[in-house]
Amino acid sequence: MLRYTLKRILTGILALFVLACVTFFLVRLMPGSPFQTGSVSEQVVEAVEREYGLDRPLPEQFMTYMGNLLRGDLGVSYEDPGVKVMDIIGRTWRITASLGVPALIAAILIGTAFGILRAVTGRRIVRETISAVGMVLAGIPGFAVAILLLLLFSVQLGLLPASGLLTPAHYILPVTSLAVYPTAVITRLTGNALESEMEKEYVLFARAKGLGRKRIIFTHALKNAWRPVLNYIGPASAFLLTGSFVVESIFTIPGIGREFVNSITNRDYTLIMGLTVFMGAVVIGVNLVTDLLSAWLDPAVRRAYQEEAG
Amino acid sequence: MRALDIKKLSVQYHTEQGVYRALRDTDLYVEEGEITGIVGESGSGKSTAMLAVMGLLKKNAAVQSEKIAVCGEAPVPGVNVAMVFQDPQSCLNPTVKIGRQITETVRARRHCGRREARERAVELLDMVGISDGKKRMRQYPFELSGGMRQRVVIAIALACEPKLIIADEPTTALDAAVQAQILRLLKRIAEETGTSLLLVSHDLGVTASLCQRVYVVHEGEIVESGRVEDVFYDPQEEYTKQLLSSAKQKRKNGVTPGDQVILRMEHVTKEYNTRDGIRDISLDLRRGEVFALAGESGSGKTTLARVLTGILKEDGGVLYQNGQPLGQKRRDRGRNRVQMVFQDPYASLNPCLTAGQALEEALRGADSWDGSQRRRMGTVPARDNAAEKQFCSARRRDRKAERAARRKTICDMLERVGLTEEYMDKYPSELSGGQRQRIGIARALIVRPELLICDEALSSLDAVTQEQILDLLLGIQREQGIACLFISHDMHVIRRISSRMGVMYGGRLVESGKTREICSDPWHPYTKQLLEAVPEADPLRARRIRSLPLGKRTADKALSGKGCPFAGECGYVMGCCMEQVPEAYRFGERTVSCFLYSAEHSGRRGRDYIMTSQI
Repeated sequence: MLRYTLKRILTGILALFVLACVTFFLVRLMPGSPFQTGSVSEQVVEAVEREYGLDRPLPEQFMTYMGNLLRGDLGVSYEDPGVKVMDIIGRTWRITASLGVPALIAAILIGTAFGILRAVTGRRIVRETISAVGMVLAGIPGFAVAILLLLLFSVQLGLLPASGLLTPAHYILPVTSLAVYPTAVITRLTGNALESEMEKEYVLFARAKGLGRKRIIFTHALKNAWRPVLNYIGPASAFLLTGSFVVESIFTIPGIGREFVNSITNRDYTLIMGLTVFMGAVVIGVNLVTDLLSAWLDPAVRRAYQEEAG
Repeated sequence: MRALDIKKLSVQYHTEQGVYRALRDTDLYVEEGEITGIVGESGSGKSTAMLAVMGLLKKNAAVQSEKIAVCGEAPVPGVNVAMVFQDPQSCLNPTVKIGRQITETVRARRHCGRREARERAVELLDMVGISDGKKRMRQYPFELSGGMRQRVVIAIALACEPKLIIADEPTTALDAAVQAQILRLLKRIAEETGTSLLLVSHDLGVTASLCQRVYVVHEGEIVESGRVEDVFYDPQEEYTKQLLSSAKQKRKNGVTPGDQVILRMEHVTKEYNTRDGIRDISLDLRRGEVFALAGESGSGKTTLARVLTGILKEDGGVLYQNGQPLGQKRRDRGRNRVQMVFQDPYASLNPCLTAGQALEEALRGADSWDGSQRRRMGTVPARDNAAEKQFCSARRRDRKAERAARRKTICDMLERVGLTEEYMDKYPSELSGGQRQRIGIARALIVRPELLICDEALSSLDAVTQEQILDLLLGIQREQGIACLFISHDMHVIRRISSRMGVMYGGRLVESGKTREICSDPWHPYTKQLLEAVPEADPLRARRIRSLPLGKRTADKALSGKGCPFAGECGYVMGCCMEQVPEAYRFGERTVSCFLYSAEHSGRRGRDYIMTSQI
């Protein structure tokens, strides 16, 4: 396990490096320059490019950037030279995370609850309703959910604010639209896993032991049903934490997803690079954590690890 | 007051195919403090009856009865009735510690605090023969051996403090030595606590060794009941007689094997998972013989089989095939010569392939070497268009003929194993266990092997099916004159079918020779223990089975440490047993690896000295 962890971290770093390389060259393959805004003359553009070192050969630029990256310096934004890329990330990510984390928690709690309900309920109508609603919600694309919610609750009913993040009420709609899809998926995964666990012989034995239904579900079956759910939570949280451009645009929230799309339209090389590397690190990190967690929750793996550690 | 009283119990299953009557008007009782047995083949409704008592049947089962009472009250699982299941591996929750699984039962029963429950759990573990309870309680099920797990399951059943324990095939998943321990334990518990025991089993020997009364169930009805002695010695019903005769049947294999050695192992060693390895094994397999391999689980039987098939490569020693050392090249070519029938017919067939496809795949795999050979030597196509066309059409024709021939071979093979052509398009999920095992045998035999290895090929089948498959296997084996290596922990079967046998312990072959001689007069102390642990379908004899002490039966200790692997448990242990490993001493047909038979310890002897058992 120790070796495995180390290996995973190293491959993660390698993946991040490859990601940075590919993005670096792809960005520079895009037509246009960060400073070509239409009204500026060729000479001025060239002068500015020279000042930023963009007239140098590509390999040299690459080496400089990578050197800075290793030192943790992501540079300044070309669009807004007074601001460091690091600061932009810090500002926008805080906003995105403030939406993503509640959405994730809500999805896990509500999804698991409905999943359990679907698996153990004796009532057919409850089971079928949960399945059907889950299917529909998982099928609607995210932007449609967001727009529908916006139209219904702020335009028609006028109950909730439509844009910005001023008060807690502002959070309700964007968080809901982010959470809908993961909730539906987690419901289905938990339901399926739990249903097949309830068929296992140890559940039958637990019933023969005279344990109550709640006991069997929560201490026995659920303990074995987490694996598929956890495997999904990894990618899902990576998605939620790197921001959804669609939801942030619809509710005009200055999050990291919107910043990313803007940076591409602006050809803001350093900002694109910075955001890509950051998001890549988040995705790789989150997946690493869930993989290790899922291994750790397996008692056989955990025992092997403890023996290894002494 | 009777511990269990059932009157007119009927169970019907409502399935998509219609109504299936699993149990009809069953009357059954267990006296207080009595051990009662239920025997019958699988699917006869034994387990259904027990689950009906526990109220654990699935929703599609309709239960009707005039009376089901445990000591005059309605049965409540975990309060007045508890159950021990067949497979301790699957009925313990793999992610919950042993301690928790016991204490929660104690707490559900007694409504007591955690500490009290823990103390009670240690007590219970001690009762079932686990002395280091405190340590064990912190372990997970996967850290325990099969016998240990079954002890834990029994401890959990006892935690309910029931009036009646229902044990459903409690020893079927265990090997002979552990089985004897568990049977003794059940008996002792029934006597000490006064709990009544209802033992459900397909093994007549197990039933005979424990029970006072017995019910014989056949197709959902009780066909015979009475005292064990009456039923076993003087059966009235035809079905009972059939069951008993199949259990007691004498030798089946009358064929005297040839002397031609087809496979020889010399000092073969394979380290594997630190446990389950094999050490320094020398063995001959002769054409047309059935050689049986016995030993507890983890003694390296399967590893030996895998080395023979070439799935694993040996670390040391030499394998000879027909007198030639087996190099890489010969190994590739001879791959089909050794085929294997696996233990679990459910897991060893690909659920996505029909029976026909599975067999065709085996055939193609066997052909591929010949095919590649043909291509290499290649009839090189001429650079002439017409000839090429002709060549292609010829090849197409060839392929068609080949396919038809293959189909024919498959049909013949299916008929050979007692199935019809219709089974070709069936998926494994549509077949019963016995039918699947027939497909498994067909798959192995279709490539015409010289040696067939059956690795516990019968142990997942019930008694009657076992008998059919055994007949089939032996019939084919005799007809085609192939050698058969039969790995089993069932000494009954070994005794009946094999001409020679070997006994393995801790990765070493401790004794080998003629089956008849070894079974009637075991020389090695371990062989003796093993044979004594097997209950026979004869109540008076079966009750005398001696249980082995629960020593530290860990094969890895035996593999790593010096000395005889059995030294730790042997009653005849000497100083030298701890220090060095006994070599194999040969006396005619018999080879035994024990210092009792070495020249130094059995005294100087002349050439015509006839060695006899030293124990």
